[in-house]
Amino acid sequence: MDTRVEKVATGGCHDCGGRCPYTLHVKDGRVVRMEPDDELRACLRGYALRQRVYSRDRLTHPLKRTGKRGEGSFTRISWDEALDIASGELQRVREKWGNRAILHISLSGSPGGIHGGIAMQRLFNMFGGAAQMWGGPSAEGYVYASRVTHGTLETGNSRDDLANTRFVIMWGWNPVETIFGVNVCHYLMKAKEAGAKFFCVDPRFTRSAAVYADQWIPIRPGTDVAMMLAMAFVLIRDNLHDADFIERCTLGFDKFKAYVTGDEDGMPKTPEWAQKITGVPASTIETITHEYGTVKPAALIPGYGPGRTSHGEQFHRAAATLAAMTGNVGKSGGNTVGFDRVVGMPLHMPPVIPWGKNPVEAGAPRMSGSVDTALRNRSRVHWAKLWDCILEGTSGGYPYDIRLAYIVGANPLNQIQNVNKGVQALTKLESVIVHEQFMTPTAKYADLVLPVNTHWARDDLMRPWYVGSHFICVNKAIESLPGTKSDFEIACELAPRLGISDYTDKDARQWRRWLAESEPDMKRHITDYERFEKEGVWRVHQDQPVVSLKKQVEDPQGNPFPTPSGKIEIYSRRIADLKHPELPPVPKFIEPEEGPASALAKRYPLQLITHHFRTRAHSCFDNVGWLKGLEPQALWLSHEDAQARGISDGKRVAVFNDRGKVVVPAKVTHRILPGVVALGEGAWYDPDEEGIDRGGCPNVLTKDHFSPGGAFVSNSCLVQVEKA
Amino acid sequence: MQLGFFFNQPRCSGCEACLLACRQWHGDDESAVDLLAVTELETGEFPDVAVTWMVVPCLHCAEPVCAEACPAQAIVKSPEDGRVTVDMEKCMGKEDCGAVCREVCPYQAPRFKDEPDAKMQKCDLCLDRMKEGKKPICVAACPMRALDVAPLPELESAWGKAKDAEGFVYSAETAPSIVIRAK
Repeated sequence: MDTRVEKVATGGCHDCGGRCPYTLHVKDGRVVRMEPDDELRACLRGYALRQRVYSRDRLTHPLKRTGKRGEGSFTRISWDEALDIASGELQRVREKWGNRAILHISLSGSPGGIHGGIAMQRLFNMFGGAAQMWGGPSAEGYVYASRVTHGTLETGNSRDDLANTRFVIMWGWNPVETIFGVNVCHYLMKAKEAGAKFFCVDPRFTRSAAVYADQWIPIRPGTDVAMMLAMAFVLIRDNLHDADFIERCTLGFDKFKAYVTGDEDGMPKTPEWAQKITGVPASTIETITHEYGTVKPAALIPGYGPGRTSHGEQFHRAAATLAAMTGNVGKSGGNTVGFDRVVGMPLHMPPVIPWGKNPVEAGAPRMSGSVDTALRNRSRVHWAKLWDCILEGTSGGYPYDIRLAYIVGANPLNQIQNVNKGVQALTKLESVIVHEQFMTPTAKYADLVLPVNTHWARDDLMRPWYVGSHFICVNKAIESLPGTKSDFEIACELAPRLGISDYTDKDARQWRRWLAESEPDMKRHITDYERFEKEGVWRVHQDQPVVSLKKQVEDPQGNPFPTPSGKIEIYSRRIADLKHPELPPVPKFIEPEEGPASALAKRYPLQLITHHFRTRAHSCFDNVGWLKGLEPQALWLSHEDAQARGISDGKRVAVFNDRGKVVVPAKVTHRILPGVVALGEGAWYDPDEEGIDRGGCPNVLTKDHFSPGGAFVSNSCLVQVEKA
Repeated sequence: MQLGFFFNQPRCSGCEACLLACRQWHGDDESAVDLLAVTELETGEFPDVAVTWMVVPCLHCAEPVCAEACPAQAIVKSPEDGRVTVDMEKCMGKEDCGAVCREVCPYQAPRFKDEPDAKMQKCDLCLDRMKEGKKPICVAACPMRALDVAPLPELESAWGKAKDAEGFVYSAETAPSIVIRAK
């Protein structure tokens, strides 16, 4: 045993579905090895962190733009000069245009409670505030549906309960590649080995389908609701629904039934009706419904991808309705199909250092309890409209005229829809300041880049991804790469320049302790802070799996669901009151914009989906050779569509629509439904002289729009593909 | 007692955590060499597709042909636990011997970096970890718990002597120390 090796218990990575603890072996101030936790095991990305942290491409000097914005020409400047420029610009814009002209862009690149965008939001709030966005890119449709249907996001069972299920429909759900909670795949495998049957409904034959599925059911993107309605039709027709559960625990089933049977609109939602829309054979729909309706307990588990469509909230609403119709709610081995936070278990987002109120939002309408997204749009801007807001401003109906964008822990040019519009927007701004570790596509458009350190050089706190069972104490293991600072340190140094003398009275480590000892969720679970710090992780164990909504299901009179009616709302009065033409009070199938039946499909006949990629966490890791080498970016294309276009495997193809063009190698495969192509999100935008992307960034093609419930519509996208 | 490698193939998702865990554990730079192989195997046509994976480190054969073939006698098999290891001092480097160990191995377990005079590297069942009572890094890393290393007779009595699987051919000549639960 090498005594020069120090072992540091820590954890965390980027915004994947995990958030894993691990031990770093540090020798002479450098991480030489990573050792997994025995229980909470990391994925391949975690093991590539070392290559990421020590990459030769790490930024180590503040950079000031010299050429045109976006050219990527910079000169190195000192930290003093850089911080003077940053604070000077913030003050200039505030004085000339007001705080509302400053936009703070922070996404999920730096998950933690102290660093990243958290540190900067505290600073901005003290500085008079900044414009803010809304609408979680991941799953806003799901959040909306869960609030409407169940009145809460705490609807999930602890993941060990997955071992108890006897039947699973993985609907657009790919935990093998997206992780979806550390150990989820392990518990699912226990269920499979105990004899549970699995169906995977997905346009792609994913690795999850390869491992679990007894049958893969390929489906056209954006048509999932049609299949679910047909399933409801079969359940009703064959009297397989749980009438007692529906009576006791739900509201509005009769109105839903009238729609499904055709009493309402003269169109019965039969399996034959659904087959035409979805491409799924009617006989398959009959079979799967019979099993789902009879095997108990059964878990319909949706991913978020099908909800990132033009009416994505309907997908989650319909799925929740099926779960209620079969009585698989609030039961061990079932799945409620709500948002999946587990009652009493660690929350998802970490507690954040108090950032006070954002003065720019003073007087904004309160959103709590409202299903009216139009209300929210009066004071904030939806993420999907980020670029449009910058370009059109108040004369375009937005609440802000943005002049300065301050970007932290985010790669918005790459990750927000419609990259070409993003290029225009970033070009138009007066000022663009970016905190970054690498020269990302977004950083290329900065006027000023401030190089930041990584979480291995920080003290911070992380909580697990949604369905986790632990807390991570991020323990600083190494010093910052020379020339880099943490976001928190940058905020501390900007503060006096901005006239703020009381930005913080604690360092990061002290904040971490303060948060653990004051935030209710952490206080409840972490009873020995020193032990938490030493071990790097605090595990939350229960003797029995935790089942959310169990009490409500057992006694809905005594323990009402947190909805206005006290029941699971298949029919929502609050939505009915909005009289929104595309937000029906019961789940309905609405033909997707940019769907296979739309007029646009004549020009762009292929549906594009942009799945989460196995070797990346969004756009993190795209520049890490160990990972890129395992699975280079490529467009998945069926043999049928490839043959029709004279395309062979590995050859370059052009994927395009009115919004832009991407050239990438094709992966001609049996693992995708003809009519559908797939390009993994997160690959870095890399335009050539003609503006054609050669990096394979699918957001060059996606639409910058949001669904009525606030979902991203990335997976409602039509393209054409040709040999390049 | 001969150590054996157990592969629970239906559990394997081809996630390659084992591959990278091994790479970063044993390599101290970016040109780290992989000491195990993960192979993907697809059969069928749309929509009746099936995909499985096979994971093969060195299998510490009962009759290691690599040891026989090595002109420098640099490869030895432990009488205690059957581990096959290479002595880096004795290894001549691939340029001198033509990497004959790799040529004769049915599983290509001996690995060489790109440098012309690279010496042989191979899986040693994480001898350093096993000395501390820990399992090899691939076993510890697998999120699906699809791998194990244990005395071969124990594995055989728990799982049978099945040694056939998609993507794997049992070499009667070398007798690899492996037990597979095939998909």
